[in-house]
Amino acid sequence: MVRVRRSTVLDAPIEDVWAVIRDFNGHDRWHPVVAKSFVERHRNSDEVGCVRNFRLKDGSVLREQLLALSDLEQTFSYCLLDTPVPLFNYVAHVRLAPVTDGDMTFWEWESQFDVPAGQDQALADLVGNDIYQAGFEAVRNHMGLGSET
Amino acid sequence: MARVYVSSVIGAPAEKVWERVRDFNGLPNWHPRIRDSRIEDALPSDKVGCIRSFHLQNGELIREKLLGLSDYDLYCTYEILESPMPLEEYVATLRLTPITDGARCFIEWSAEFSCDPENENKLVNGIAGDVFQTGFDALKRHFGR
Repeated sequence: MVRVRRSTVLDAPIEDVWAVIRDFNGHDRWHPVVAKSFVERHRNSDEVGCVRNFRLKDGSVLREQLLALSDLEQTFSYCLLDTPVPLFNYVAHVRLAPVTDGDMTFWEWESQFDVPAGQDQALADLVGNDIYQAGFEAVRNHMGLGSET
Repeated sequence: MARVYVSSVIGAPAEKVWERVRDFNGLPNWHPRIRDSRIEDALPSDKVGCIRSFHLQNGELIREKLLGLSDYDLYCTYEILESPMPLEEYVATLRLTPITDGARCFIEWSAEFSCDPENENKLVNGIAGDVFQTGFDALKRHFGR
């Protein structure tokens, strides 16, 4: 089992960050690797259980299912159903928390999954750097925030 | 149930900050409002279930019991057994989380308790400001932002 965890601080109030990342169907508006996104069966993107279908920039297709969404805790969880990359039993959690003494937002993105033998490090780096860390930077750009770190 | 939640960013890796706050008997080493502390019955301060007995700078006595301590998830949970504050069923958690894209960490301190509704605002503001934020400010002075 591989565990990946990335986190950052955005210089924006939590409501603003949550408004951007809450939409399970909205990642094509900010994530650099996602070209197109739609939710299957015309379901709403905040219906727990809905499946989003991504077409990546390289043309491959990825399907993910929303497992949990909380407007109270500002969290969501999802799993991978189909993927061009050998990630198995992949479940990811996203959490926002307010930085109460600075009007900033803490953002954590983590997952656990299995991979074929010998690919642990390469796939952990792919997920952590190309998906999560790149996602942080993309949301910073999307929201017009400076690089905070 | 009254709730208190305060959070901040400390300019040092989570492991370094954890070294400073992990010791359940170590409040006087980092929190400016605490004068002295001891663990009752000569128990080790990382034994879950141990009781710390400490004095504030104004001489008031507080006794708290350690309910949970995790060196893996970096949190400490405790309850108040005795204090001058008019509250009951007080349980608090101090938690650190790494910020992986810089040598900093996220710190959260939260509490829940019950009290007379007319005291709630004063207690919530006092705990949030005088206890939790004052502790964070001291850590930020020590480690940087």
